[in-house]
Parts: sequence; C-alpha cells; structure tokens
Amino acid sequence: MSAVIQTYTLTKKFKQDEVIKPLNFSVEKGEICALIGKNGAGKSTIFKMLSGQLTPTTGEIYLFGKSGKDMVQAKRRMGFMIETPVFFPDFTAIHNLEYFRIQRGVAEKKRINEVLEIVGLANQKKKKFGEYSMGMKQRLGIALSLLSSPDCLVLDEPINGLDAEGIMEIRRLLIQLNQEKKITILISSHILTELQLVATRFVFIKNGVIVEDVSKQLLDEKSRKQIHLKVDDTGKTAQLLERAYEDIQYKSLPDQIITIQNHIEEAGEINRLLIKNDVFVMEFRVEALNLEEYFLGLVEGAGEK
Amino acid sequence: MINYIKSENYRLLRKKSLYLTTAICFILITAAAFVLYYFNEVDAHFPYGTSSFFYSNVLGMGVLIIIISFVYNATLTGKDISLTKQAVSFGISQSSIFWSKLMLTLCYFMFVCIVGILLMIGLGEILFAKEPETTGNFLIASFNMVPIVLSGFILIHTLKMLKISDIYNIIIIVFIYIFSGDLLYFVFRQINGWNEFYLFAPSTQLNDNLMSFMNQSMQLDYRYWVTGIVISVIALFIGAATFTKQDIG
Repeated sequence: MSAVIQTYTLTKKFKQDEVIKPLNFSVEKGEICALIGKNGAGKSTIFKMLSGQLTPTTGEIYLFGKSGKDMVQAKRRMGFMIETPVFFPDFTAIHNLEYFRIQRGVAEKKRINEVLEIVGLANQKKKKFGEYSMGMKQRLGIALSLLSSPDCLVLDEPINGLDAEGIMEIRRLLIQLNQEKKITILISSHILTELQLVATRFVFIKNGVIVEDVSKQLLDEKSRKQIHLKVDDTGKTAQLLERAYEDIQYKSLPDQIITIQNHIEEAGEINRLLIKNDVFVMEFRVEALNLEEYFLGLVEGAGEK
Repeated sequence: MINYIKSENYRLLRKKSLYLTTAICFILITAAAFVLYYFNEVDAHFPYGTSSFFYSNVLGMGVLIIIISFVYNATLTGKDISLTKQAVSFGISQSSIFWSKLMLTLCYFMFVCIVGILLMIGLGEILFAKEPETTGNFLIASFNMVPIVLSGFILIHTLKMLKISDIYNIIIIVFIYIFSGDLLYFVFRQINGWNEFYLFAPSTQLNDNLMSFMNQSMQLDYRYWVTGIVISVIALFIGAATFTKQDIG
C-alpha cells in the first residue's frame, strides 16, 4: 500500500496555544480512515492544514507523495469538505456547482447532474442554496467534493445535520465510493457509531495528539464485549474479583453496577464465584461495547483498574 | 488562474448589485444632465446649464467615484470571500485569488467608467451649447483622475481582501482622499523642502484637477500618476504579501 496522505511532525500553534502537537500520521490508499475526537481536539485543524486553508507551524505534508509546490497537482486529485460547506446562498445547486466546475476545469457539464444524483439532490437542484436545510447543504458539500472525480476524499463531519435516512445513504455512498471507485477516504464525525460501520481504521485524537490508532479488526476485538453486573455489595465483589483474577479490568459505576472488560469467556465462573461468596447478583449480562464507549474510555482516561 | 478568473466572471455576471449599481450611476448622470437642461430651458438666466458645469460635477466627485468603486470591488470580495477556502483546497494559490479578483472587478469598473464618460460627453454635446475646448479639457481632467481613482480601487481591494471591516475601509478612503492634503500641509508647512509635499496628496490633486478644469487651464500632469502609482504599489505589495500568507480557514 502507498500513502495518499502523510504528515511528518506536523504542528499548529495559534499564538502560544499548540493545538496540534507533532503529528506523524498517514492514510494509505484504499482506506476509510476515521478521525475521532471531541470538539477542539484538533480534527478540523488537521483537515484545514491538509487542504492548505491553514499553514502548519512546523512539519511537512505529503499528498500522493508530493509536498510543497508539487502538491498543487496532487490536491486536484482530492476532494475536501471541511466544516459546514460554504456556497453562494443566492445560487441554486446547479449554479454553485457550475461555478466550481469552471474553476476546477471539469470538462463535462453532465458531471454536475451526476454528482447531484449521487448525493440525492437531483430533485432539489433548482432550489437556492440559502433555502437548503442543513442536511441538504451537507449533501451539496459532498457533491462538490466529488465533482472533480477525486482519488481521495477528506470529509469533516459529513454526517452532521443529516436525518437517520440521510446518514444511512451517506454511509452507503461512502462504502460504495471506496469499494467501487477505489476512493481513499479520511473522515471525521461525532456520530461514532456511524463511523464504526463505515471505517476500516480508527484514529483517536485528543488535545492535538493521536492517542490510539487501530484497525477495524482490532477495534472490534477491543470493544467486543464486557460483563455487566448489578450486585448488592460492590466492594466485596471487587475484592473477590481481584483475588480470583490478578489481571482483572473492571469499572465500578454508580447504582451498584460493575463492568468487567476481560475474562469474558469465564462469565459463568465469575457468576458462580459471586453466588458462592454470598454476593446477591441482581443483574448479570454480557454486552457489547460500542466505539463511542471505547473512545470515551480512551480519551477521558476513565478509571480502570 | 484562467479557470479561476472564468469562474469568478461567471459569479460576477450573476450579481444583481453589479447591474443595479451600473444602472443607478448611468441614470444619475442622465438625470443630472436633463435637470440642468430643463432649468436652462425654463430660466434664461440659469448659469449652470453648460457642459462645463455638467462635467465639473463628476470631476468634483472623485471620492464618490472611489466609494462607488467599492461596490464593484465588493461584488467579489464581500461575503463571497468565504468561498475562497474551497478554491484553496483545490490547489488554487492565494496569490491567484488576490490578483484574479482585482483584475476582474477592475476591468468591469473601468468599463463602466469609460461608458460613463462617453455617456457624459454624449449628453453634454447634445443638450448643452457648444463650448470650445470643454470636451478636450474634460478628457484631460478625467485622464488625470484615472490614477487617483484606480489607486483608491486598489486600496479598497487590498483592505477587503485582508478582511478589514467595511466601515474602517471607508474611513481610510475618506481620510486619504479628502483630508490627506490638509494634514500633510499642516505637518510639513514649516519644513523646508517638504512644504510642498501636500501637493502630491490625492485630496489636493483632486481639488487642483477640478480647479484647473473650471479655470480652463487644464493640462496633463505627471504628479497624479506619481501619487496614484505610489499608493497602488504600496497597497498591492502589502495586500498580496499579507493575503498570500494569511490563513484562510
């Protein structure tokens, strides 16, 4: 695999505030890479530096192996949608895309209808952008990023503002673009469960630092399951668990709930251990952790043993 | 850059403000001519029913013309400037954006100015009695005004591209093109060698140009071009250099 996007010790300072700490990051060809982080984590800043909207304080960016002035041609192989899409409010979707078609030197006019069809705006193409809903604006933003038939898409919160049906459509579209057109995708979102279904790689960012970089397979393994217990005596339960399993990982939560993240396969024995030691087990179930919980656990440093 | 200019032209031609401003300017010019003509017809002693007075109205409104140029420049540098981030993401340099917007809006503004001058001469020739040399003097005076007005346009462009708010933009323009002469005279009046520096101030030159036209002592003057070029070069140097390095996002 070859890197479509690569950064070396990339940093960004706003006055004295270093919002991106030295960042070494790459997106390989064919990936759908999800960048996950809370507001202010630095996702949009990274995307803006990749697009050229912000100048990095230090470090280098390579797009398709090109950097500096050579990157201009490489950028034409990319489609960016960063933050809320901006268009002329008094223009229709067709006029807006025609403006960008001319600007980007896309020869075929019919490409406009194609991309509008792809994002499901074909029926709204004569409506002015100013009258669009948030979801429609997002779709038009995606349409623009597809206009010049890019090899790589960089999408910042593309699902923002979409309804459930819209989210499903965009998810389907991204998978389709990746699988059929072989488009590499770098995507960020707060709707983490949606990324779990789309992405092939997950990069977690906190305060401008990548805190975890995992494949979908590894993430699925890591976030697969946990044991959820509701007991009458959490202190005693914790003691018993620690005595029986030296490497046990658990969290003690309010309402007498304990969650155990490992030894899942020994759930039956754990249950027997507690009952045998007179712990009253009110609830006992094995549940799957979702990406969001995994992410929050990572970035908030939630108290694990 | 060519594609960027083409796309901006596509946008510009669909801006209502462009047509509205142009129409208002031409209507006002025509209305002024007909008002003077009407009063000249109804009042035999009306002193202002002459082509020279008609022309002097425009020559005396240099600052107003610069402020009108603000509207033309704003067609591509107003709220639309937020779209430049899309262009930058596609690899179009900020330098290309700066120069393209300037060239395009300047071309349209100059086109409107030329049509406006022709309209004035046409109206002046048709509606008012012939005055020897008036039209020639008007053309010379207009030619002297060109660098001053263009420098104002370029200064406005720079300030707009650097996202200086419109109110500050207007204040700077009013200061330079109305008060700069008085200020330079006040500051340098007692310093030998500098006490005539105020003659190069755009406000002084706009006044001198009008006075020369009214006195029928009009002649081409290089000093207008010196002032216009100096202001334009400084504005462009600062504007292009700063905008190119500016973060867009």
